[in-house]
Amino acid sequence: MIEHLPVLLVVLPIVGGALPLVASLYTDRAGWPIAVVAMLGHAAIAGLLAGQVWADGVVTYAVGGFALPYGIELVVDGLALAVVALISAISLGVLAYARHAGPHENTFYSQLLLLVTGLTGMTVTGDVFNLYVFLEITGLAAYGLVASGRAASAAVAALKYLIIGTVGASLYLLGVGYALAATGTLNMADMNAKLAAVGYDSTLVLTAFGLMVGGLTVKVALFPLHTWQPDAYANSPDSVSAFISALVSTVSAYALARLLFSVFTVDFLTAVPAARWALIAVASVSIVAGSALAVSQSSVQRMLAYSSVSQFGLVIAGFAVATPIAVVGATVHLVGHAVMKGGLFAASGIIERETGADTVGGYAGMGSRTPIAAGAFTVLALGMVGVPPAIGFVGKWYILVGAVEAEIWPVVAVLLLSTLLTLAYFARLGERLYFAEPTIREEAAVADGGEGSRGPRSSSDRRSGGGEGAVSAGMLAVVVIAAVLAVALTAAVPALEQLLNQTLPPLIQ
Amino acid sequence: MTFDVLQVDLLTSRYNYYAVVLLLGIGLYMLIESPNLVKKVIGMNIFQTGIFLFFISLAFRSGANPPVVTKGGGPYVSPLPHVLILTAIVVGVSLTAVALALIVRIYSEYGTLDEDTLEELYYD
Amino acid sequence: MTDVASLRPLAAVLVSALAIPVILSLKSKPNVREGVTLTVAGAKLAIVASMVPDVLSGTVYVTRIADFGTGLSLVLRADALGILFGLLASLLWVVTSFYSIGYMRGLSEHAQTRYFASFAASVASAIGVAFGANLLTVFVFYELLTVSTYPLVTHDETDEARAAGRKYLTYTFGGGVAVLGGTLLVFFLTGTTAFTPGGIEALSTADPTLAKAAFALLAAGFGVKAALMPAHSWLPDAMVAPTPVSGLLHAVAVVKSGVFGIARVVLDVFGTDLMADLGVALPLAAVAAFTLLAASVIALRQDNLKRRLAYSTISQLSYIVLGLALLEGNALIGGLLHIPAHAFMKLTLFFCAGAIHVETHTDDISDMAGIGRRMPLTMAAFAVAAAGMAGIPLVAGFVSKWYLVIGALEGGQAVFAAALLVSGVLNIAYFWPVVYQAYFETPEAHDQKPLVSAVFGGREAVVADGGGGTDGSRASSGPRSDGAEASEADSPDLTHEDADRHVADGESDEHDDSVPRPEQVDHLGKRHEDAEYHGGPPEGGWERQGWQGQESTWFMLGPILTAATLSLALGIVPRLAVFLRIVETVVGGLPGVAL
Repeated sequence: MIEHLPVLLVVLPIVGGALPLVASLYTDRAGWPIAVVAMLGHAAIAGLLAGQVWADGVVTYAVGGFALPYGIELVVDGLALAVVALISAISLGVLAYARHAGPHENTFYSQLLLLVTGLTGMTVTGDVFNLYVFLEITGLAAYGLVASGRAASAAVAALKYLIIGTVGASLYLLGVGYALAATGTLNMADMNAKLAAVGYDSTLVLTAFGLMVGGLTVKVALFPLHTWQPDAYANSPDSVSAFISALVSTVSAYALARLLFSVFTVDFLTAVPAARWALIAVASVSIVAGSALAVSQSSVQRMLAYSSVSQFGLVIAGFAVATPIAVVGATVHLVGHAVMKGGLFAASGIIERETGADTVGGYAGMGSRTPIAAGAFTVLALGMVGVPPAIGFVGKWYILVGAVEAEIWPVVAVLLLSTLLTLAYFARLGERLYFAEPTIREEAAVADGGEGSRGPRSSSDRRSGGGEGAVSAGMLAVVVIAAVLAVALTAAVPALEQLLNQTLPPLIQ
Repeated sequence: MTFDVLQVDLLTSRYNYYAVVLLLGIGLYMLIESPNLVKKVIGMNIFQTGIFLFFISLAFRSGANPPVVTKGGGPYVSPLPHVLILTAIVVGVSLTAVALALIVRIYSEYGTLDEDTLEELYYD
Repeated sequence: MTDVASLRPLAAVLVSALAIPVILSLKSKPNVREGVTLTVAGAKLAIVASMVPDVLSGTVYVTRIADFGTGLSLVLRADALGILFGLLASLLWVVTSFYSIGYMRGLSEHAQTRYFASFAASVASAIGVAFGANLLTVFVFYELLTVSTYPLVTHDETDEARAAGRKYLTYTFGGGVAVLGGTLLVFFLTGTTAFTPGGIEALSTADPTLAKAAFALLAAGFGVKAALMPAHSWLPDAMVAPTPVSGLLHAVAVVKSGVFGIARVVLDVFGTDLMADLGVALPLAAVAAFTLLAASVIALRQDNLKRRLAYSTISQLSYIVLGLALLEGNALIGGLLHIPAHAFMKLTLFFCAGAIHVETHTDDISDMAGIGRRMPLTMAAFAVAAAGMAGIPLVAGFVSKWYLVIGALEGGQAVFAAALLVSGVLNIAYFWPVVYQAYFETPEAHDQKPLVSAVFGGREAVVADGGGGTDGSRASSGPRSDGAEASEADSPDLTHEDADRHVADGESDEHDDSVPRPEQVDHLGKRHEDAEYHGGPPEGGWERQGWQGQESTWFMLGPILTAATLSLALGIVPRLAVFLRIVETVVGGLPGVAL
């Protein structure tokens, strides 16, 4: 069984996803236990794989036993392993949160497991078209999850997400077509060699690159292709926004990196400087525009969504610099951002449940009413700003060092600026939480119906069921653990670096 | 003289790629321009169809047989893109299904399928 | 110097960091909470003090916390320069903790738990800055210092406090970004950011333009916290914080960490030789000299005592930077010695201001005529410290100033010596009136202060908000007749404050009227226009108190007298009071500097 681990990683969640639907013949609450068992299995398999990868460097698997390069190959190297571990950890955290908070229907957990399948598949696949398939699986599950909000606007947000996401994925597919035309193969490693043989200045190759990267950029939600993100995050249930914000864009960014380094390689970036500079330009604009848009938001969840736009700009900039240190930094930031953003959405969900506050103004004085959630929120926000020793700083430092070594000064300047830009929107929240008079009266906060001092648009309509206002210990534990991890993961960075240094040199020469 | 011939040759022999571009354009235009949600989904489908056509055009070899065992031997059209398209069609169908389900829900909640009206209601 | 691996530097940082959750959990038991603070402060002082004799004899304790490669290594190293700052911060935290107890309880302040916890965090970060062995470690603790001092600045939770806090965050995080940029450049140029006495070797052979850029970034970044002009304006606004915060943090820990950072950059990153070669020392000295003089001049016009002390701090910090920038042995000793000297004196002054506020709710100098009758011990300590600021012998300020002037003259830069002497005169000009009027004047008959109350351009000049000059009871028309109107104690105060407000227009014309100027607002958030507010003498003048300490609680008087005594000790026996020996060890350990 050991040699089948990579494919089991994908098969387990998909089978697990079918089970709640079967179980709904008997009970409607079987979803959560099944999901937990499936994810624990997923985590166990990831752990076993980790041991193998640490020892051997790369684990490959031919699906169905078909020989390469005709069959589909699954490849788990250090970079992929880091992302798989992240998927397992975040899923378990969100499940702990969703036990009390989230939607309780079986179908929700089916979709969740389907999403995990898609994400895992995207991470471990070694085939370009297989990536498209898993990308679409991820997308479909995500659209469904976003639509599981009770309010009508959830459906509109999901439809918008669907349309924009499909355009992106279709562009990616078109790019795959061009690559197929150029090389005749779909296997990533094989394509690597064949693209080099065709020549990096050929129109086919350039078009393929542009389309594939462009399509994935929509999924990563860089400016200006991010417009689906704020609506989707703001209208979905808390558990869903925590999950999607932490993982979907993250794995898409990983896929972009995989494309950049395993298929097109750094040589392509060197041979076609326009490509590298285009990526850097888009990333830099994202950093600045995302922060600027975040500052002007009054809804906290939309602010966090725009913050993601900015942070992913940082990550893509790190990948575009393409030196080993910068790539390590981008990966560290990818992982760290997932933990922190997921924690932030979870904390904002808790605050909204307990007090009804979901706008920046409403957060005033909540530091004393929801001390644990507000404290965790502040720690996570400081981590995002980049206050050392949180992991947000470590990723930034590595990318900065890489950029300075590669002498790409615009990236250095924008990255240094990003600290101040991120501070601009998080400092307001921190100040409101602790140093301002509450604007939401105590009695009105407990009510679920949406009237009271909360303003014209009731936010609780947009939440799914479970808006009774009660917050369980499990939910609080999740945000506290996220806050602790934001700092503690810094200690794990050397291990991650070592893992990546086994993988990166052949990729980045 | 050669240049002219080349141009005409370009026009007549690559007609399926023009069709691809046309389909992509129409699909994208419908996606962006039409205010009706169902038409947007139709546009999405047309867009995807253009891509399918592109793949199939890639597979073609003149004078080759369909890649089915019973259709005679000899050179086959490349089956790989065909397989890819089958997968992609399935994906497209699922997407359309989800999109239409969402549209049904939107219609029942808002009573309209017009994008502009929806925007007003949404940001109300 | 031999390096010995030890946990003591880390323990010094952690002992108060670990106390934070303990303090936060003791909200309902204030006495236990205060006990925890005092115990932890004492423990920290003990740990740091235990390292002093070893440092003086050449043994340095090192704790390697983390080593990531790629320049990310967190190392704490208690060398002489670090011990200088560390000993200062931990010693004064003990003193300040006693004072805080008296002050916060005297005013029945809110959120005391958050206050004490933030204090513990701030001092832990300050010690981390002191013991940081490379630029990156210093940066980490520098940012943590910003984060932990923010709740103290915005303690009052009024609009003014929040505005001051926002300004503080913007300035200090901006400074942090500049420090990060400079650190990156240094790492890029040399492959390391570790502090090496005499400068990092590889830096002297690196590209001079990039090296100058690195210096500019580092000096600017640390200079924000060191309140070098033009990045100084956060400091007067931060005076809205409670007085112990203004004292310990904004006169001792936060600003000294900025100056300390500059010291590290000048001495241990670039080294005096490279500084001279690159030619960056002269611009730094010029900025420092300008700040020296300009801040002193601005201080002359402040009526709010804490703001006057704030500008005095800005001026005195530039003494230190000037000493460092002169690159000459005696100047370095003077500059580094001024770190503890100024700390003791300024802390005394701030504590006096706070005691006056608690006991009499008086914040403005013009209300403090004759207050020596009411608070004799306090004003005596104030007088001693003020004398030291001006450079009068027997107080600490004289020793450091002596070395600075000698160093400037020996280095052949007499213009800076002249600036120092002029500043001394200005110091007398803004401190002497306070002391004189406290003891030798009464509320009924005291001179007005033309520097404070006069209008720029003379009596007939148009005032910015027009019409203020016709207010009948403007102070410029002779001594106030407070005694006659004693029955309406409020109105003389109001009109007097009117006059002050108009007068203070000269230096803050661009102020938005909807947010009251910080000098009109005490840290309780009360505006001086409120009818119930009354600062200044009660009817019938100040009540006479004896010299046995009846004027205030010993929680406040004790620390005031301690700080004043420390200033005297450092002035009379600087070597015995260990700080001069530490400074001489630092400067002696620098290659290329002749003593």
